[in-house]
Amino acid sequence: MSQQALVASAAGDDPADGLRAVRALRELADRLEALQVERARRLGWSWQEIAAALGVSRQAVHKKHNRRI
Amino acid sequence: MFERFTKDARSAVVDAQQVARAAHSDQIDSRHLLVALAESEGLARTALADGGLDVTDVVARARASIEAGDALDHGALAAVGIDLDEVTRRTEATFGEGALARAGRVLRVRRKHIPFTPDAKKSLELALREAIRLGSKEINGGHLLLGLTRAESPGRRVLADAGADLERVRRHAEGASEAV
Repeated sequence: MSQQALVASAAGDDPADGLRAVRALRELADRLEALQVERARRLGWSWQEIAAALGVSRQAVHKKHNRRI
Repeated sequence: MFERFTKDARSAVVDAQQVARAAHSDQIDSRHLLVALAESEGLARTALADGGLDVTDVVARARASIEAGDALDHGALAAVGIDLDEVTRRTEATFGEGALARAGRVLRVRRKHIPFTPDAKKSLELALREAIRLGSKEINGGHLLLGLTRAESPGRRVLADAGADLERVRRHAEGASEAV
């Protein structure tokens, strides 16, 4: 194994990489949620309908997004 | 501690927050502080230039390093099999050009206060110690630069990557801070 491949494989199971991926996934999900909720509201969805689709309470989704939309 | 900051040191801390806001950073670390120090006229900027650095290059490197640390980390997503370019393409098809970046900005704006990282706080504490060491009652921009370069930090790494002779930069920062 070349030194480069060795370094790459060693980095593969580094918790730091895994945690960075989790953080990035969360950020991506947050951004997609913001876009989707905004669009759903514009298309006339109620907070109740959006909450049901997201699998959270109406209060939670309202609190999180109402200020922006 | 902040009551002992000179005007230029105070504005560096305020500017660091603006740098973080503009870059949509979650936190303010020593790199944001470095950009703030290097961008405004003052002891730190002078020390960097006299220490042999291209100040514009330092700012560009620090900003690039900050942007590479964006929460939406391209490489980290690729490692778990997600192609961010493809996600971006599909998202923009529905929500318009730049939608994902815009959503990121919207999320940041909600957070009114951007916290300092432990590393940035440590730099500020070390600046206080540097001021005490040099017999100064006040903490100025030069002391902030000394604090930032005294221990390992993301800001110090940017300077090292820019080819800085850290000892030389520190000597100029000490000289400038003492002369005031």
